[in-house]
Amino acid sequence: MNVRVIGCSHRGTPIALRERLAFGRGETAEALDHWRRVFRNVEAVLLSTCNRVEVYAAGPAEIPAAEQVAGFLARFHKLVAAELLPHLYVHDGPTAVRHLFTVAASLDSMVLGEPQILAQVKQAYQAATERDATGPLLHAAFQAAIRVARRVATETAIHQRRVSVPSVAVADFARGVFERFDDKQTLVIGAGEMAEETLRYLRDEGARRVTVVNRHLERAVALAAAWQGAARPWEELLEALAAADLVIGTTAAGKPVVTLEDFRRVEASRQQRPLVILDLAVPRDFEPAVGGRPDVYLYSVDDLQAACRRNQAERDKELPAARAIIDQETGRFMADLYRRATGPVIQQLKDGWQKPKEQEIERLLARLPGLDERARNEIRLSFDRLLGKLLHPPLESLRDESRNGIPHGLLDALSRLFRLKD
Amino acid sequence: MLASVHIVCFATSYAVALVLEISRLVFRSGVRGAVMLGFAGTGWILHTAFLYYRASSLLSSSQDWYLLAAWVLVLVYLYLTWFHPQQHFGVFLLPLVLGLVATARWFTDPQPLAREPISKVWGGVHAVSILLATVSVLVGFAAGVMYLSQVRRLKGRRTLLAPLRLPSLEWLERASGRAIVVSLLMTGVGVLSGVMLNVINYRRHDPVLPWNDPFVLATLGMFAWLLGATVLAACYRPARRGRKVAYLTLASFVFLAIALGMGLFMRTQHGRPRTAAGAAGAAPLDGQNLPPAAGGRGSPGGGP
Repeated sequence: MNVRVIGCSHRGTPIALRERLAFGRGETAEALDHWRRVFRNVEAVLLSTCNRVEVYAAGPAEIPAAEQVAGFLARFHKLVAAELLPHLYVHDGPTAVRHLFTVAASLDSMVLGEPQILAQVKQAYQAATERDATGPLLHAAFQAAIRVARRVATETAIHQRRVSVPSVAVADFARGVFERFDDKQTLVIGAGEMAEETLRYLRDEGARRVTVVNRHLERAVALAAAWQGAARPWEELLEALAAADLVIGTTAAGKPVVTLEDFRRVEASRQQRPLVILDLAVPRDFEPAVGGRPDVYLYSVDDLQAACRRNQAERDKELPAARAIIDQETGRFMADLYRRATGPVIQQLKDGWQKPKEQEIERLLARLPGLDERARNEIRLSFDRLLGKLLHPPLESLRDESRNGIPHGLLDALSRLFRLKD
Repeated sequence: MLASVHIVCFATSYAVALVLEISRLVFRSGVRGAVMLGFAGTGWILHTAFLYYRASSLLSSSQDWYLLAAWVLVLVYLYLTWFHPQQHFGVFLLPLVLGLVATARWFTDPQPLAREPISKVWGGVHAVSILLATVSVLVGFAAGVMYLSQVRRLKGRRTLLAPLRLPSLEWLERASGRAIVVSLLMTGVGVLSGVMLNVINYRRHDPVLPWNDPFVLATLGMFAWLLGATVLAACYRPARRGRKVAYLTLASFVFLAIALGMGLFMRTQHGRPRTAAGAAGAAPLDGQNLPPAAGGRGSPGGGP
């Protein structure tokens, strides 16, 4: 029983190569079909994300070496295998299992604790299962990985702190002011990429009413259409500001587009409603003095990035606890795996002794016809106990030996001693 | 065994729960939430037992009244902590609970202070409404302080630096606003039922509580304040918003503290047997024997 992972990740492999090795959804299915044709009886899961491409292989006998997998990947992507090989890492047995658990729990991600990787691991496992590329070993390994990732998420705070600017802006700052977003008016000033990403988080939180104001109305209309919102011309910026509860500033203007004086003009009509301003523009869209007004909560990119860094540091603190869980679970999984490897021999041993036992009981009972049912049962129980005692030492030895690996020598000896079939 | 529960038993449980709440600001722990709720819950059960074994004379002394107010406040704390385990409500609510228990222990008299009310119904309505008004003012005060703390954190961009976790401003504003309305309604009911009790006394030619009694004046002051604040908020939208609501809750708390202080430390006849001299020239106003009154250091016949 072997498990091996061969792959490359953001740790040490340039993005240019990772891009060339990446598998799209359709390509994954095709590659897995191809794998099954090339490496018969070898289970495989192909994990391809923007940060890593990994092949998890497992089987009862020999599994492909790194060179063979590199050749497979190179042929599929029409690359040169020798180019790939120096960038690939290979982990076997417990190290491979620990690596899978570490990846699934997001401890090996570029952004520690990012939640998407678990979904990607699940998708990879599902895709391999759909193509019939998985077997008992990888089923067990991936199901354990998903469970371990959940355990890490529950027992540590590694996922609790957000670390991207838009997610921090929404979850840590805007959520501190507003309980719900479905009845709030969101104003987007500019049509930058950051605005869209922030809107995505806001939409997840329930935001529905979006207004976009941009110097070029057509871009505002396009962004508003994408988010089922409304577009307004640049001249109506202050009116839109008066109606807004949450503002996202993302223009590329060289100077503030809303000064303190501008804000004072609309302040009265706001009737002291709280206003959250996420100023994601550099240079800033809002004069910092606007943040000094009562009921205005103004955050610049610097504020948000500082919060992200603090959150990242908080996540890092959770790393030792998460690693301890991974180590514990890896040990447990491997012990299970080794025990499972001894299963067929144990079963054969038990079955091999069972038949003579039954024959002896039958013979004895035939010779003692005068026995009542109670005495017969006592005899049967006695034989069962005897068999259990006879089998106990070899089974204990197997169990002890299988703690640190598959006890090939002992299994072989038992098979030969008791003439067990393979 | 429960019959022998002492105030110190449940006060200690609440104090431990508060220490655990504060420790949440310092370090993380997987089991602390359950332990904290366990201590608060155990304290509440002991508290309930303590009140239960006094049920025959419950609310007949100012000590009972304070302890019952603390009991309701702990119930509010348990509810909020159960449904919002991430928020640190206990840091704000448990000190108020301990304050009420400490007042009950050291500044009130456990002995029944007045004769039976002339009308049990109006007496009960009066006691319960003033008690609920007090609890809602305290809850509003806690929400107001949390609101101002949250504003400070958000303005200072310290949402992530400070380990203190608070609900959103919107939630706190709503809670504060509701607390003001509930305390207004309950104080109104308390004042009206007090008037009814005095009217009944007056008609029976029994001594009545003078309208210029310090406790009555403080309670009327609080009622007038709450009424004014609610009317203002109804007519002027910004007064319903944010910091203004928080400040209203703080001011309500000050009025409540004055009223309770009057009951504890001033010469008041509220809740005490009255003499005809004491009632001379008094207009029928407040009730008979119930809330915080008497037993305090300054009240006639009261001891520490």
